[in-house]
Amino acid sequence: MKKIIGIFIVIGLLVNGCGKGTSSPGITEDTILIGNIQDLSGPMKELGALLPSGSNLYFDYVNENGGVHGRQIKMIVEDHSYNPQKAVAAAKKLIEKDQVFCLYHVIGTSPCEALRPILAESGVPLIAPATQSGSMSDMSRQAADLIFHTDTGYDKQTRILVDNILSKNANAKIGIIYQDDDYGENVLKGTAIAEEKAGISVQREAYQRGATDFAGQVANLMKGGVTDVIIAGIVKEPIIVMKTAVAMGYAPNFYGTSPTMDHRISLAAGSAGEGFTSVNFASLWNSDAPSALLYNELCEKAGIPAKMKGMYHFYGFITAQVLVEGLERTGKFPTRTRLVNALETFKNWDGGAFPPITYNQNDHAGTESVILVQVTDGVQNVISDWIE
Amino acid sequence: MTELLTGLLQETVSGIALGCIYALIALGFTLIIKATEVVNFAQGELMMVGAYVNFFFVTTFLSNQGEPTIGIYLLAFGSSIIFAVAFGWILDWVINRPLKDEPIFSVIMATISLSIILRALVGMIAGPLSLVPYSPFGNKILSVGGIVISVLDLSIIFSAIILVILFYYFFNQTKWGVAMQATSEDSVAAQLMGIPVKRVYGLVWIFSAIVATISGILLAPRMSLLDTSMGFLGLKAFPAAVLGGFGSITGAIAGGIIMGVIETISMGTLSFHFEWIKEMNDIIVWIVLIAVLMVKPDGLFGEAKVKKV
Repeated sequence: MKKIIGIFIVIGLLVNGCGKGTSSPGITEDTILIGNIQDLSGPMKELGALLPSGSNLYFDYVNENGGVHGRQIKMIVEDHSYNPQKAVAAAKKLIEKDQVFCLYHVIGTSPCEALRPILAESGVPLIAPATQSGSMSDMSRQAADLIFHTDTGYDKQTRILVDNILSKNANAKIGIIYQDDDYGENVLKGTAIAEEKAGISVQREAYQRGATDFAGQVANLMKGGVTDVIIAGIVKEPIIVMKTAVAMGYAPNFYGTSPTMDHRISLAAGSAGEGFTSVNFASLWNSDAPSALLYNELCEKAGIPAKMKGMYHFYGFITAQVLVEGLERTGKFPTRTRLVNALETFKNWDGGAFPPITYNQNDHAGTESVILVQVTDGVQNVISDWIE
Repeated sequence: MTELLTGLLQETVSGIALGCIYALIALGFTLIIKATEVVNFAQGELMMVGAYVNFFFVTTFLSNQGEPTIGIYLLAFGSSIIFAVAFGWILDWVINRPLKDEPIFSVIMATISLSIILRALVGMIAGPLSLVPYSPFGNKILSVGGIVISVLDLSIIFSAIILVILFYYFFNQTKWGVAMQATSEDSVAAQLMGIPVKRVYGLVWIFSAIVATISGILLAPRMSLLDTSMGFLGLKAFPAAVLGGFGSITGAIAGGIIMGVIETISMGTLSFHFEWIKEMNDIIVWIVLIAVLMVKPDGLFGEAKVKKV
């Protein structure tokens, strides 16, 4: 009997010891250290202020309630100024010097793409890259097994928008204004698929990032007899495009990809933005979705200023929920491999804001659906269920 | 054919509005160059500061009274101009006077540094979030014979015209204006002739700050959201000033308008009919600039300076 007890003790010690011995960098008795790379000084610095603040709102809530398996989550935020080379340098610093457990919510398609080699080399997972580029979940690319996307890709969003327009008006002439970079490239990929499926031709108009005048593009869409315009921009572009259209006496239906979901668009565009329909990959921050209710409660408790609240701040919050769920599933003795395995157990997981998320070894896209949100009387209203 | 002409006419009108934006910024460059021969690379940032200050005044005077009234707009405008006077005066003391007679490279570096500092300072004070600017014109439009223009664009065009007339008159018909021109020609000789050169410099920086503030106030609603990147527009106005002829007020306006119209038509009708133009929209303005400079090295309205040896 003593022998058997002895063997159990030895096995117990070994298992426990092994578990601790193989735990990854970034994990201590009481802390999980994660790394985030944002644009804090470049063209998207506004998002750099909003996203980590939203994430920390949820991490603070989790930490106050005992953390994840007794460990507090601590996030280090680095700046890449939307420069892929700086993103690589920041990732090196986070991985080698700070020894973070994983990377999370790194913003921008190009910076995230630039991180693939360093992810593959270090085996550090990247959870919820803050870009809706479909390339993030392309499993044929380098380090794809380590990247877990949470947002429906731009390519799928565009395809869904084209389908939606044609379902309302089979004779619609569709046009698209897109940013001439990797964001636009992914949008055009979806456009090409939609064109082939529907047997139509979409009029394409490009613009350079940072453009402040769209008179030429709007004039061309007008000349092309376009009845429905998809704006694949961010926040400023849809406002200027819609105002320019009004100023040119042109009144098509306007649609936008998910970055155009910002509620300030309807504020700044005024009457020109009436009827603007955008897609979103998550429930609205001011809706009655469970995450939104918790978000607003925590915002009030933490005294978050009204100007911070909105889609982007909420985006930080809900991706933090995905990460925390993954960490919970990783167990008491987290390693990077265990985190990857744990995330791959997500099966129609409903966190309260995203559509049900599923990951497996062959699919890290997470979600495939969007909702449609339309501006009526200056207010955003959800006008559809989740559409695939 | 009529459709093509109407399209071209509409694009020209939109291009003139865009061009007047470049022109207003170029005018700020030109004023300083005309009197001090210094290129102020922070002109775009002066404009951005003006837009922020006006936003601050509108929100302060508004104090939860709902939509701003015309009175509030005018009050904020007046206050912003007073600010611009003080700001221009300070800049003269901080940038211009200490670097007077220093190598041109030092002055250029100082104005580039100023632009970076202003962007960072405004970002620190106002926060990283973009603001939704106020506009007294809303989305109102005017339509004449099928050609449409927004009231906001019209106000930009009118402001550019009025400012050019005012400064043209000032430089050519007033004592101070002539003093400024004389200072630009030869500051030592001007001083010997009894012109208070330092006061002239101060005045020109103040004028430039006023022009920048007016441009900022008009441009902010057209830029849809107000953030510190507005200052980068200054870089686009730079070729406009060169095209028109650095140091020429008429040239600043003409250069701006030519650039605006070329940009809009190449993005519009030309790209619509010739697919390949789309690929070179970004460089078309620069090609025109080089072509003009090859024929007229001093720009369209610039005066050739002949040095007798």
